[in-house]
Amino acid sequence: MPSNPAKLRVIWLQGITCNGNTHSFLNDPSLGTLLDSVEFLHHPLLPCTFTLQQLVKKLPKSDILIFEGAYSASFERAGMAMESLLMTLALKTKHIISMGSCASFGGIFKENDPEHISGIVFDKENDSGPLRDMRKKVITLSGCPAHPKWLSFTIDMIRFDKPIAVDEYRRPKELYAYLVHNGCLRNEYFEWKVDSEHFGTKEGCLFYAQGCQGPFTHGSCNKILWNEVSSKTRSGTPCVGCTEPTFPKRELFTTKTYMSIPSEMPIGIPKRSYLALAGAAKSFHIKRLEERLIDDHT
Amino acid sequence: MITHELIERIEGEAVLDFQTDKSGAVQDAAIRFLHFRGMEAILEGRNALDALVITPRVCGICGHSHLIATVKMIEDAYRNAGVAIRISDKATAIRQITLSCELIQNHIKWLYLVMLHESGKMMGEEPTVALKALYVSSQVNQLCALFSGQWPHSSYALPGGVSCDPTHIEVMQALKILSDVERFIEDEVLGCTPEVFEQAMRDNEVLSLSGDFGTVLRNFERLKVLDTGKSHGRFLVLGDKSVAMANGIRNSADFALVSEDDSQTFEHGGKTYAKNALYNGEFYEGGPLARALVQERTGITDLYRTYGDSAIIRLSARVAEMVSLCAQVRQLLTSLDLSQPSFIPPPAIESISAEGIGIIEAPRGSLIHRATIEKGKIVSYSIITPTQWNLGNGTASNLGIAQKAMIGAESIAKASLIFRTFDVCSVCTTH
Repeated sequence: MPSNPAKLRVIWLQGITCNGNTHSFLNDPSLGTLLDSVEFLHHPLLPCTFTLQQLVKKLPKSDILIFEGAYSASFERAGMAMESLLMTLALKTKHIISMGSCASFGGIFKENDPEHISGIVFDKENDSGPLRDMRKKVITLSGCPAHPKWLSFTIDMIRFDKPIAVDEYRRPKELYAYLVHNGCLRNEYFEWKVDSEHFGTKEGCLFYAQGCQGPFTHGSCNKILWNEVSSKTRSGTPCVGCTEPTFPKRELFTTKTYMSIPSEMPIGIPKRSYLALAGAAKSFHIKRLEERLIDDHT
Repeated sequence: MITHELIERIEGEAVLDFQTDKSGAVQDAAIRFLHFRGMEAILEGRNALDALVITPRVCGICGHSHLIATVKMIEDAYRNAGVAIRISDKATAIRQITLSCELIQNHIKWLYLVMLHESGKMMGEEPTVALKALYVSSQVNQLCALFSGQWPHSSYALPGGVSCDPTHIEVMQALKILSDVERFIEDEVLGCTPEVFEQAMRDNEVLSLSGDFGTVLRNFERLKVLDTGKSHGRFLVLGDKSVAMANGIRNSADFALVSEDDSQTFEHGGKTYAKNALYNGEFYEGGPLARALVQERTGITDLYRTYGDSAIIRLSARVAEMVSLCAQVRQLLTSLDLSQPSFIPPPAIESISAEGIGIIEAPRGSLIHRATIEKGKIVSYSIITPTQWNLGNGTASNLGIAQKAMIGAESIAKASLIFRTFDVCSVCTTH
């Protein structure tokens, strides 16, 4: 193991937000260990060096700037507009972490004023955000919210000066090369095209009718479990695609189909290949997959 | 003298405009919230089920409450459209378990991150990170996630039930976590058993409790604010049983008397984005204190007789609610009948045109979601959050709840501390 470097000086700044990433971060059961390696110059809820008012006055240098929430030039914190506050802090930091889908792409709050609200580097899929020219020092942790372990992983990589391989939206590949579908407990039902009859059962795949976006959403939700124990799909909820720039889509609990085939394919799978396999899989009746997984609970 | 005080370390920020006399005592206080996100407009035109994903994002700390209010609103719309919709006892119990988890973690965070921290700072202490409290909050959220898949921002409750279909394994895990949480509350928060705590409230001896809650109370006592912060003494609970209480008299509450007043907002030349929520034209206090008083819970009711609606009782009521919610979650977990269906499919939402109202008791009080649905689409959506009741900005003749509680404080710092006893949430207030 490398020797222990000095504590990283971190600023947590919020744009237009619900505080969801803040509370997701506080769920980290290893928070104490993480706090041994970082010093919060500012954090909205944890004890820190500067209050928001002091932060806005001093505009200190930092090692990492974590930005939570969507960006709007005129949105103010402690009387200072994001246009200057975010820009100044961004210029004076070494690394920027875009925490959550609002900061990354605009997210839900973009919907209220699409013209003026965006992410910090990306505005949906376009790299037209205010920090686009600084994109090389930005790591995107999209998700609504982002998982606390995704953040602590990124901080550790920065701390030990390890290069982070990223995708086109600057999301760490080690976290986002997976699909939410990977590790889903219902994978076998997907393989054999057995759909879930309705919500509230352990059986069947949610991709065919209930709107699950797991096969085309990047994220390690079923590898690095939520709150250490579960995920949306493990609790029978369809993936809503919250890590993607397209979030939030519409009609989130219904699968759009074309000729009764899901209109969006698993990533990288040509429709012809999908149809060939689906046709074959559907022609068999696998009794085990058509029965209840557990007969009763008594 | 007029001072504008930025209140941080709440959920978001608030600005308090204080008018003080020569001694620094607070003569007038106005509450302003400066951030607005337009959640209601975002929902309009969408499929009603999409609200199950959108509304939790109103708030990072009480988003689950918004989910449950939304699902109840949609189920109400089904019924108003004349369509039967059934929810199994199991699904109802699981929803109550996960909702209660959200309240418990909220109250723990408020006690440690806000009250212990801020009152300690005023005593000249150097605040540290309340790691033990954050760890136990994360455990409560884990209990929730065993059913809801994740916390925050789950969408596991749908019209007709819940999406999860738990086994005994989840229930057993949940009970183990609950035991750890109960132990934390006994050992760290209270320093005694729930029974001794209740007796201490009845005997007016809460100040001698040895746990961190006792420390907060003693800080308040040394700061001479323990019995300050009195407001109107009017309380409202709309979520479980609807009860309005004024002048010590409890009456069943009528939802038709609820109104929103936007006269103080920017739109009408005011200085805040927050709309006031009123009952019968007046401000009423919601939240743990209101819930305890309308249910005439022993302990809090006894303390209220002695202190009225002052700081000591707002602090005690939130802590007492942690205790009672743990007992409720235990009872629900041990009586879950897993053989019942998790979800009973209702007719398609596209067949529904009606208005729906969903009211639940969220951490800070009654949360109301109301919408008009046309062929499954949201035509209009309206949310009244608990903090709109407690943190409203009234006029000299009709002061808001927290506003009245702050007026008369010896200093701005003390008034700000009183403000925080209401468990302030800026993100919810303006949504």
